[in-house]
Amino acid sequence: MTSYYPLAGILETRFDINITGAMPLKLPDNWINILKERDFCHANTKRGVRRLLDGRRLLLTHFKKYGWIYGGAFILLASANVIFAFFPSVLQRFADAYEAKELTRQAIVDYSLLLLGIGIAYGVLFGFGQYLNHRMGRIFEYNTRQRLFRHFTRLSEQYYSKNGTGKLLSYVMNDVTSVRESIANGVNQLTNASVLLVSVVVMMSLSELPLQLVFVCVLPLLTIPFLVVYFGPRIRDRSRQVQESLAEMTESAEEQFGGIRVTKTFAVEDIAEQRFGGTVEHIKDNQLKLVKMTSAFQALIPFAGALSLVVAITYGGYMTIQGQLSIGHFVALTFYLRMIMNPLQQIGNVINTMQRARASLERLNNLLGIKPDIQDHEQAAELPPGAGDVRIHNLSFAYPDSWQPSLSGIDLQVAQGHTLGIIGKTGSGKTTLVKLLLRVYDPPEGSVFIGGEDITRLSLESLRTQIAYVPQDGFLFSTTIRDNIAFFKRDIADDNVEHAAKLAEVYDNVIGFDKRFETQLGERGLTLSGGQRQRTSLARGLIKDAPILILDDSVSAVDAMTETSILGNLRSARKDKTTIIIAHRISAVKHADEIVVMDEGRIIERGTHQELIRQRGHYAALFAIQEEGVSHG
Amino acid sequence: MAKPGDNRQEEEINPNYQVDSATRRKAFRAMLGYAKPQRLVFLGVFFCAILAISADLLQPYLVKVVIDDNMLGDQGAGRVIGLGLIYLLLAVISMIFTYLQANLLQRAGQSIVAALRKDLFSHIAKQSMSFFDRHAIGSLVTNESSDTETINQFFTQVLLSIVRDGLSLIMIIGFMFLLDVQLALYCLVLLPLIAIIAVAFRKMLRNSYQRARTQLSRTIAFLAENLSGMSLIQSFHQEKEQVSRFSQRNRKYLKESLREVRATVIFNRSFDILGNLSVAFVVYLGGMAVFNSALEFGVLYAFISYIRQFFQPINQITQQWNTLQSTLVSVERLWRIFSVEPEVRNPKPEQAKELGLERVRGQVDFNHIRFAYSDDRDVLRDLELHIKPGEFVGIVGTTGAGKSSLVNLLARFYDVRKGSIQIDGIDIRQLKLESLHRIVGLVQQEPYLYSGSIIDNVRLFDESIDRDTVIEACRMVGAEQMIKRLKKGYDTLLTERGSGLSAGERQLISFARILVYQPRILILDEATANLDSHTERLIQQALNVVSVGRTTLVIAHRLSTVQQADRIIVMRSGGIIEQGSHKELLQQNGYYADLYHHATRGTAAGQ
Repeated sequence: MTSYYPLAGILETRFDINITGAMPLKLPDNWINILKERDFCHANTKRGVRRLLDGRRLLLTHFKKYGWIYGGAFILLASANVIFAFFPSVLQRFADAYEAKELTRQAIVDYSLLLLGIGIAYGVLFGFGQYLNHRMGRIFEYNTRQRLFRHFTRLSEQYYSKNGTGKLLSYVMNDVTSVRESIANGVNQLTNASVLLVSVVVMMSLSELPLQLVFVCVLPLLTIPFLVVYFGPRIRDRSRQVQESLAEMTESAEEQFGGIRVTKTFAVEDIAEQRFGGTVEHIKDNQLKLVKMTSAFQALIPFAGALSLVVAITYGGYMTIQGQLSIGHFVALTFYLRMIMNPLQQIGNVINTMQRARASLERLNNLLGIKPDIQDHEQAAELPPGAGDVRIHNLSFAYPDSWQPSLSGIDLQVAQGHTLGIIGKTGSGKTTLVKLLLRVYDPPEGSVFIGGEDITRLSLESLRTQIAYVPQDGFLFSTTIRDNIAFFKRDIADDNVEHAAKLAEVYDNVIGFDKRFETQLGERGLTLSGGQRQRTSLARGLIKDAPILILDDSVSAVDAMTETSILGNLRSARKDKTTIIIAHRISAVKHADEIVVMDEGRIIERGTHQELIRQRGHYAALFAIQEEGVSHG
Repeated sequence: MAKPGDNRQEEEINPNYQVDSATRRKAFRAMLGYAKPQRLVFLGVFFCAILAISADLLQPYLVKVVIDDNMLGDQGAGRVIGLGLIYLLLAVISMIFTYLQANLLQRAGQSIVAALRKDLFSHIAKQSMSFFDRHAIGSLVTNESSDTETINQFFTQVLLSIVRDGLSLIMIIGFMFLLDVQLALYCLVLLPLIAIIAVAFRKMLRNSYQRARTQLSRTIAFLAENLSGMSLIQSFHQEKEQVSRFSQRNRKYLKESLREVRATVIFNRSFDILGNLSVAFVVYLGGMAVFNSALEFGVLYAFISYIRQFFQPINQITQQWNTLQSTLVSVERLWRIFSVEPEVRNPKPEQAKELGLERVRGQVDFNHIRFAYSDDRDVLRDLELHIKPGEFVGIVGTTGAGKSSLVNLLARFYDVRKGSIQIDGIDIRQLKLESLHRIVGLVQQEPYLYSGSIIDNVRLFDESIDRDTVIEACRMVGAEQMIKRLKKGYDTLLTERGSGLSAGERQLISFARILVYQPRILILDEATANLDSHTERLIQQALNVVSVGRTTLVIAHRLSTVQQADRIIVMRSGGIIEQGSHKELLQQNGYYADLYHHATRGTAAGQ
């Protein structure tokens, strides 16, 4: 099987370690740094990666779709700036009229109205243009998040096991936002700056200003884009360091608060404070380093502007006094110079934003380009409804990126209506087996059959609809208890929900809450205990009443008495249906029609409870440990 | 996950969330207290700011001089060069002080925030466990990182803007009056206009900002949860349903964010238009005055420049609005944390008693204790239990019987409501928390490991404990074999929560801690639950090693864990209902025997 995300593979080959196998994890000391290099992603590696889209695809689709709106925005912004460029020339004519003693009351009124008109037209046109651009940016953000979420639902567990939620969230938050900002602000500022710059230069050359004067004055300003390009990446580097030290402190706080009981128990608060304080000081140092860069930058830009005004005042002033330049032109020159300082700075900014956004864009495109590794076969068949017999034939399986097989030579047959129990140590392959049944990972072709069909040839939908799976962790969503139980079909009747809750022995707990089944869970609601969570999750699986039910150590946090009644309920509710129970405790499986004991990916013993006890093998030994009391008592 | 008492959600959902202004003022004043040690630096920043803005503000005035005195007047061309040089000098000064000001301010801001962060951390670390029950760790971490960061932004951005832009504004107005009082007075008509616009937009901006943020955080929360539950969504084939639910939230956010964009654009452009309008206004009024020879032309030039500059600082200040808003929210949140007094406190010096670690015998007495986590329901009622030095006591009972509460009280994670707990006859409330915690050691069900080497995890980063002690401890609990298999042995870096080690291996490390820290009284709170039988046996052996010579309390889910105990305490709904050795209890044929038979009955039937 090819891996679409070979990080583990790279770590393995580079550092001679094994990540996914059964061996204990040995990571190099600097592994976290390796992971932190965010650009270190699947794109640049040879093995097993398919980049379906090139770096600009996402943006191209967007611009193609909304091209005409961007055209409109451009026209609005451009006309706004062209109009604005007339501002100094109006003042120039005003000053020249004054100097020539031709100023009349009417002329003053006209000039004022002209300025007013320019001001309002600029504000309105610019406002609309700006809004259109930002609106497009937000729509891009919306569409991209939508696509990402849909894409996330297709990615397999293999991907999730290697990419933490934090990283995926950062795609949706930081990367999308950074691309959005750069296209909204980028288009705005670029249009603005370029049009204004061109208009001002055109106006200056049309206005009889001596070219050598214009040139000498503008010279210092031309350093601005270079300053921006020089400082931009350096500032970004240092600000990344600040971000990283912030993250370091956050991690430290999380770790220390999470371990507060340990800290208190061993009375090592002082050491905890010292360690945390170290991360705080680190941020401070990095911030001060950053501010040296940013403040130098912030001081130099206006300085360049001031230099060009120094030239204008001295050289331009000298020429005016010599009579080579009218006062009006001198006035206009100073305003023109002030006007183009901003666009020059913006051009530099745009270059920097674009640079930053490019990395984000590439990450997004790469992410969207990952092909889900579990997909329907081209001629996928539907699993006949009700089919519940499972046959596993000589199944061997190794996780991608692992050379050690997790399962080898598994042969199993569960007839419709039977119950299979699976017992084994952590890491013996029990859960892997279940994951293959559900096609969380694809089993090799021709090894797993349900209803006589090879499951790799079945549509995922029909397969997963007919299997009810109850995981160990009892993950629940922050919604009502009802919606959690009725997860497979949110509009199912209340009776079914209550029935399932009764089967899972959680009904009594639920009706004890004020809002009963409408009780909100999670973030803004109630927190259930571990056992209650597991039983709610069990109800969520049972309500499906599916032909095949898989319990993956699903009652481990439930006390012995409740466990017994749940198992009793199960036996009667699933009389004609197939049930697979995975457990640590023998009590959970001993009534099964067949029990298999797994160790290191193989079935080492099989039989009914009594047969296995008689074999005096692993099962019997385990039984003796777990139920020690019997022999002693 | 939010717990009662955590109001973060409320703030984010309700844009009109308000705290009464008295609290707000108090909170704000408390935060300003952190700025006090930096007041000289702030004074320095103030002077730097004046010099930093000088060049920008004097430029129109210099040009005015050039126009009036040199171009229209009779002063020679030589002075133009002099004025140019003055401006150059101003520019250099301005550059230097802009740089200095930013560095000074950041230094002050960072010192404040660093102090705040450290204080907050130690304040939180001092709290009793009930505090951690009420506050989710995620939200405490947000307090520690984001809220303090916002306060840093307040000092480095908001304060800077107020000082720099405020000064600019004042100086611009000053120059205007210096140049021409009448025209300046006309210009001041603008101020109320600006105020009206600002007030009119203020609410709109704030609301739209808050609403967009609320929707964003809902969208993100939904996303985060769905990412963690993705395997479930897929195995229940609910992809489409969840996509459409995500869509709803995403769309709401789009709507609110567009509203925010509109508000911002309208606000900014209104200011722009107002600025250009006032230029036209000045040109008209000043033009007329010039026409009537009441005003020099250069003055008019300077006025036009100044009125254009006038709007920049105002714009800057208004842009700080959002930051100021979030600062206020953050200050309140931090204040809420700071104002919580730890429920479990060190004894007053006059009541404190000493109990040296080496002299502890390990006798524990629970005298008629009563305890409840909240007011409505007692978890422990009038419980009486006396444990002899060195005794090995097992505690059993169903979930909710009060087993964990009992040992939490002994470690003083909480305080009893009534009655007392004594160690060697001394009320634990009279012991310093530090010495109590040195006496009582606790191993929890979920071993907690820090990111760091195995050595550091065992000695909890206390470098005064040497390596050999740690290695010896690991050897004694039987962890050596497991550690030696790791590539770097004792120096292997563990990741947070110890991923890479199995549950049992992690638990062995937390047992080694006990041997390093040598508490006289040892508590195991379900320390062997959730382990497979093989690892459990390893742990049981480790337990036999660490319990030697210690008073040991073991809470167990499974009866087999405590069968060998000197005494087994059977708890039910907050009280002790039976006690005795395993045999005695079976003979009593009571609740314990019931539990026992229940756990084994199935087996007997099977055989």
